[in-house]
Amino acid sequence: MIDGSVSAVGVLLRAQAISKSFGAVVALHDASMHLPQGEITGLVGDNGAGKSTLVKIISGALSPDSGTIEFEGAPANFASPAQARSHGIETVYQDLALSGNLAVWANLYLGRELTRGPKFMHVLNKGAMLSNTREMLKRFVRDVPPIGEPVELLSGGQRQIVAIARAGAWGSKLILMDEPTAALGVAETKAVEDVIFGLKRQGLTLLVISHNLDQIFRLTDGIWVLRRGRVIGYRQTASTHPDEIVSMITGAAASVGTGA
Amino acid sequence: MTLGRTKLASVARRQGVLIAFVLLVAFMFAATSTFGTYQNLINVLQQNSIIGIIACGMTFAVILGGFDLSVGSVTALASVVGATIMIDSGTPGIPIGILGAVAACLLVGGSNGWLIAYLGVNPFVATLGTMTVVRGLIYVATNASPRFGVPYSFTTLGMGRLFGVPNPAIVFLIVAASLGFVLHRTRFGHYVYAVGGNPVASAQMGVNAARVRFAVYVLASLCAAISGIILVGQTASATPQAALGYELTAIAAVIVGGAPLGGGRGRMTGTIVGVFLLGVVANGLNLFGVSPFWQPVATGLILIAAVAFDGYSKRDGFGS
Repeated sequence: MIDGSVSAVGVLLRAQAISKSFGAVVALHDASMHLPQGEITGLVGDNGAGKSTLVKIISGALSPDSGTIEFEGAPANFASPAQARSHGIETVYQDLALSGNLAVWANLYLGRELTRGPKFMHVLNKGAMLSNTREMLKRFVRDVPPIGEPVELLSGGQRQIVAIARAGAWGSKLILMDEPTAALGVAETKAVEDVIFGLKRQGLTLLVISHNLDQIFRLTDGIWVLRRGRVIGYRQTASTHPDEIVSMITGAAASVGTGA
Repeated sequence: MTLGRTKLASVARRQGVLIAFVLLVAFMFAATSTFGTYQNLINVLQQNSIIGIIACGMTFAVILGGFDLSVGSVTALASVVGATIMIDSGTPGIPIGILGAVAACLLVGGSNGWLIAYLGVNPFVATLGTMTVVRGLIYVATNASPRFGVPYSFTTLGMGRLFGVPNPAIVFLIVAASLGFVLHRTRFGHYVYAVGGNPVASAQMGVNAARVRFAVYVLASLCAAISGIILVGQTASATPQAALGYELTAIAAVIVGGAPLGGGRGRMTGTIVGVFLLGVVANGLNLFGVSPFWQPVATGLILIAAVAFDGYSKRDGFGS
């Protein structure tokens, strides 16, 4: 296969012929792609190429006009992010979706709080949540942020680490990340990338949108390229070069992959 | 030295209201011979318990990022409904009167909650509306005249004492302790902070924000109902004009106690300190023979000072 399409590993998610329009604007046209199990896959393309739309369709935040999503071999056109989450698909949003006034442990457990005592009272079991949070974060974070502090007192990088760790903490299988290090400095970007590698080591599959090609080449095992709503192709990161990806993004050279 | 000073500054920042309250009480003990008397302390407790109970419910609404302007009217509603039932049916009617008062108030709280949580009406608009409607309905139903003749036995609740402590203060203590437990120890209280801090994130993570909002406004009305019933116990009567402006005093106490109007922050202990800070200042003005007309002036100035101090210390903390 000229594009190095995955064959050795299984496919966790497959999108077939996805189309989505917003009024007269075609965001995605007949887009097909797949995510290899246990790998970090990059999704690149210029502004308006349809990356975020595709991620939103996978996560259940948008429904496609036509086309199907298959997750673990079963049809999975999710009606809401909550439904996708219950199947093990988590999204790390650009705006983080953390509650700044709540502590790290409270954000990690938000909506899943442990309680004790009589059932109807729902008394929080804060001690258990604190120690579990430390254990969960230790699995893929080297420098665990202060667990009892409100998230708004943390740095941007630490906050992003909490958000990504939360996505990976609950037995999820696939994590979708839209520009995970957009507003971060060099050291913080490195720390967040370490967490992403940590999640991969735990066996999770990750999809990363980034404008930063250096980052894409550092992180990913394979790259899907979108241009103007169409899937241009897939390349294995080890056997391609940034120049080739750039030309696929811009359309400077006619590279037609089998993904389209 | 510098470390000591920074630490001192941070303590002052977090416990500013408590420190101000302790200083105020110390000053009152030193400057007057009457403040520390049993009778005067009893008066302070007696006079501030009703506002205090309302403020406990208001704390939830403020942490949620809103407030409830209708609680003054609801307090009056509880006292008028309760008193009317008790007058018409005598001593056996007391429990029915209490139930009727609570039911009427839950109806208002339910309306507030439904408007705010499920119709998305702004809390200011929704509760301003019910505040006005409820007060108007009370005037219509009573022809704006007071109701007298509540069985005298019922004044035990308002005027009696247990171990020397006024009964309303004991009710305040019970309400504050149990609602403090709910706010700080239970999942529901935790969700009040979560929704108040970031409603979108809470909803994304599966918190039923609408249900939390609904419950908080019902709770605020329930507290006002308790206050209204105690009001009947203090006077053996009900006045349609009762509790005018209590909602603003309660909001002031909550804010002075450290819960900003933006939501997501605040503590029940802060509210209790806020209530008694305003109460002791009012009592002090009284003891010094200052005209009671000055009392709202003092309340307003304290409110502004507390919020300004909070804003100033935050800028100080993050700026440098």
